[in-house]
Amino acid sequence: MSRRPPRGEYIETDTGNKVARKATLVGTQNIMLGGKTVIQPEVMIRGDLIRSIQSSSSSSSSSSGTPNNTAVAIGRYCFLSRASCLRPPGRLYKGAFTYMPLRMGDHVFVGPSSVIQAASIGSHVYIGAKVVVGEFAIIKDYVRVLDETIIPPNMVIPSFSIVAGQPARVIGEVPEGGHEAFELRELYKTVGNNPQPAAS
Amino acid sequence: MSSKRHSILPAVSAGPKPPVHFSSSITIADSALLTGTNLITISSESVIHPRAKLDSLAGRITIGRRCVVHERTMLGAIGTSGKVTEQAVTLGDYVTVEVAASIEAGNTIIGEGTTIGVGSKIGAGAVIGKHCTLTPHTEIPAGEVVPDFTVIYSNGMRRIDKRGVADLKNKGQARQIEVLRRMIPTNPAKFA
Repeated sequence: MSRRPPRGEYIETDTGNKVARKATLVGTQNIMLGGKTVIQPEVMIRGDLIRSIQSSSSSSSSSSGTPNNTAVAIGRYCFLSRASCLRPPGRLYKGAFTYMPLRMGDHVFVGPSSVIQAASIGSHVYIGAKVVVGEFAIIKDYVRVLDETIIPPNMVIPSFSIVAGQPARVIGEVPEGGHEAFELRELYKTVGNNPQPAAS
Repeated sequence: MSSKRHSILPAVSAGPKPPVHFSSSITIADSALLTGTNLITISSESVIHPRAKLDSLAGRITIGRRCVVHERTMLGAIGTSGKVTEQAVTLGDYVTVEVAASIEAGNTIIGEGTTIGVGSKIGAGAVIGKHCTLTPHTEIPAGEVVPDFTVIYSNGMRRIDKRGVADLKNKGQARQIEVLRRMIPTNPAKFA
């Protein structure tokens, strides 16, 4: 007799993304997940806030049926913790209000209850708990953002910095040997319907 | 993600359905949460994002014209005092309430053109003046009065906003609302 597998807490896609059933993803056709990304419960991703101004060059390309409408693009091995919120930043551009896509690199850890409205986040970034990243902020690679930081809008955070405070200030630099700490492959294996114990 | 599915929105248990008074031109997302027993009034051209929660158990909620209420907000939360007044929360015109902000019930008044930053908590009975800017995670204690044009930043420090951009901000907000009205599928009939 056939037996359906028990419903796990996560939906695992064939590219290895683990999306919790209780996560709120609005407008999923505009959300690109890179692969092996974990989305925990109560995460909210606003994929419906897409760019409203389409440049004229995209309408002339006949290969794509619809212009690229990505609202949120996430890289590989990202980890979005509980109750975090990703939403594209919006601004008045050429007289009209429009939302710009939010692009995240690989190995980005977003802590619980954080709100990310950045324009782009590089790779290997650690964002702590309750962090607020203001609109159109740019975070480069290998950055460590400590807990409860508030990053003001339009701030650019250079690579290899450690950022904290309200408003955020660069308080230090990632040490030479600290690059391995940003890897999230092990963390990816510990979450999901069949969690492997964390490698100690 | 399957292309047939447009959103994953897990169901949330709802409370009593409140009486509502909507203007015809508002945009209210399908998954906004309106609960409570008192009247909720939303004036013309305001936008309520998905998963915003308006709770009128402790009194009426009145939202002015051209307001934007973002997701995960909580208007009308019953604070520690637990008092029930006739008017729980009043938002003036052109108010923006950002993601995860929380406004407690109890005659709380937010003046016109104010921006409540991400994750802020406004205590019961607070009166916020016009065109104020509250940066993210600001906490306003209960009963506090914030004068007009104040900027509250960085753990409670305050200064007066002397830029004189109130009109420009209002125009910018009107443009933003035009775009949001096209993007968020509105469903006021669900709450009527």
